[in-house]
Amino acid sequence: MSWKLLQYSVLFAGLMLISAGQAAPASPDPPSNDDCLTCHGKPDASSKLGDGEALSLYVDRQIFAHSVHGGKLACTNCHTNITAVPHAARQFKDRRAMSLAYYESCKECHFAEYTRLLDGVHYAALEKGKEKAPTCVDCHGSHAMGPPARPRKQISATCAQCHVAVGAAYARSAHSDALAKGNADVPVCTDCHRAHDNANPLTTASHLRISELCAHCHTNEKLMAKYGISTQVLTTYLADFHGMTASLHRSEGLKSAMLTATCTDCHGVHDITWVKGPASGVIKANLLIRCQHCHKGAGPNFSSAWLGHYEPSLRHAPLVYLTKLFYMFFIPFVVGGLIIQILLHLWRVVVNI
Amino acid sequence: MNEYIVRFSVRQRIEHFSVMILFLALGLTGFAQKFVDSPWAIWTINTIGGIDRVRWLHRAAGVMFTVFAMVHISIALFMVLTRRSRPSMIASRKDFQDAITQLRYYLRISDNPARFDRFDYRQKFEYWGMVLGGMLMIATGFMLLYPVIVTRLLPGEFIPVARVAHSNEGLLAFLIVIIWHIFNAHLSPEVFPFDPSIFTGKVSREYMEKEHPLEYARIMREDEEKREAETDEAP
Repeated sequence: MSWKLLQYSVLFAGLMLISAGQAAPASPDPPSNDDCLTCHGKPDASSKLGDGEALSLYVDRQIFAHSVHGGKLACTNCHTNITAVPHAARQFKDRRAMSLAYYESCKECHFAEYTRLLDGVHYAALEKGKEKAPTCVDCHGSHAMGPPARPRKQISATCAQCHVAVGAAYARSAHSDALAKGNADVPVCTDCHRAHDNANPLTTASHLRISELCAHCHTNEKLMAKYGISTQVLTTYLADFHGMTASLHRSEGLKSAMLTATCTDCHGVHDITWVKGPASGVIKANLLIRCQHCHKGAGPNFSSAWLGHYEPSLRHAPLVYLTKLFYMFFIPFVVGGLIIQILLHLWRVVVNI
Repeated sequence: MNEYIVRFSVRQRIEHFSVMILFLALGLTGFAQKFVDSPWAIWTINTIGGIDRVRWLHRAAGVMFTVFAMVHISIALFMVLTRRSRPSMIASRKDFQDAITQLRYYLRISDNPARFDRFDYRQKFEYWGMVLGGMLMIATGFMLLYPVIVTRLLPGEFIPVARVAHSNEGLLAFLIVIIWHIFNAHLSPEVFPFDPSIFTGKVSREYMEKEHPLEYARIMREDEEKREAETDEAP
């Protein structure tokens, strides 16, 4: 061994000793998963909550190993307050209090999702003291957590755990039908409502954004061509009275206004059905009922004032088409005639000079 | 002898002024809605204070325009039927003959321009365009304002028809006023830069002799007769 190598070896050994000496006395190694499972791996491990409910403390080693965090995280990454085993018994007044005590562990890694959650309607409810408002684990699960959104239809099922009536309405929709058949084109809850920063859907601002939400897919030529659905739905809506009002109200940032009809007011909010199906709210026989929701006293002729997303043509709304056509010729004819009269007049004046 | 002739009564001057203001208000609030995709329309809507207020103003101005139109037509009918006024706006065969005579004059086929009475064929055209166009605007405007009531009697498709007609007829009226009326009242060499007669009510004898010779001759004749009658009555 050369002198130089010996020098380096002594230096390296010394550094190892110093670093070990610094770390070791301050905090011993956190308990390993095996340490935890010594107790929590026993199926009968349980504890009594403040409200008397028995809480199982059992964690299935296999289930955790197959979860999305299996092999990546140690128990103490989330259960950060456990620094040694055995640990003192922890007291929670009920199951919910325990969940709420732990949900902030996730932000250590998933900080972006956490900050988005802070902008959402669920966090706002939680902040107001509504303990039932969902936190991370209520949607994502805990030890058995799989990758999010797989399978995709799991998302609607997750939301429906609390939003029962909405879930049932969605289940009647054309989107849900396709989803059940494994179609990935259709929207699930989070496509419209977002996953973490869900806005309150009942505000004026949310209402005025709806056409944009629907248009996200319904103006996509490639996507709509698969189903033979027109992509003119947005432009025809925006060109009409309701759509124009909605987009202007939106640009004005109106907080409270008499809301004008948007996609969901005619097509349904969650139970959106295929427009040509017999149960459709927008086929002529049913549309009037939707109109009457705002236009009290509207008679049977009223609903055909709306041209059903069709551009006027000889086939659809011929009277509107012909009126348009008439003015296309009549305006240039009259204006042209007047200009000719003016020019003749001026010319004669010039000639007379 | 007066240097001026009173051409328009106070009522007619008030009518013109009111319609002018209402026309501008309706045009501004209407085109802001028709051309809502353009930046100036958005600016106008925001300056006025939002689409709801723009629509309220448009409808209020429309209702006032309707009242003025009804009053005007009622008075005109009453005056003509009770023979307090000559039906000087009624289009006659002479107007068509005048148009041809004037066209021949413009094209230098003839050197004699048409000799007009109180209103020439161009003025009658504009007046009737205004009256008929106004009627259409009023009818379609009320259809759009009360679609629920209208569709109890008419097919639903009439509402979008009314919308197209209202929007295009409004544009036509605007173009006629911009091109035709502005030319005749401001830019035409005879009156340039401004013909104030509809505001003052007065026109010069020279103007009358040139532009409305038949009416001028009649006024002269009537004045003569009146004077003769007065002289006869004198002891």
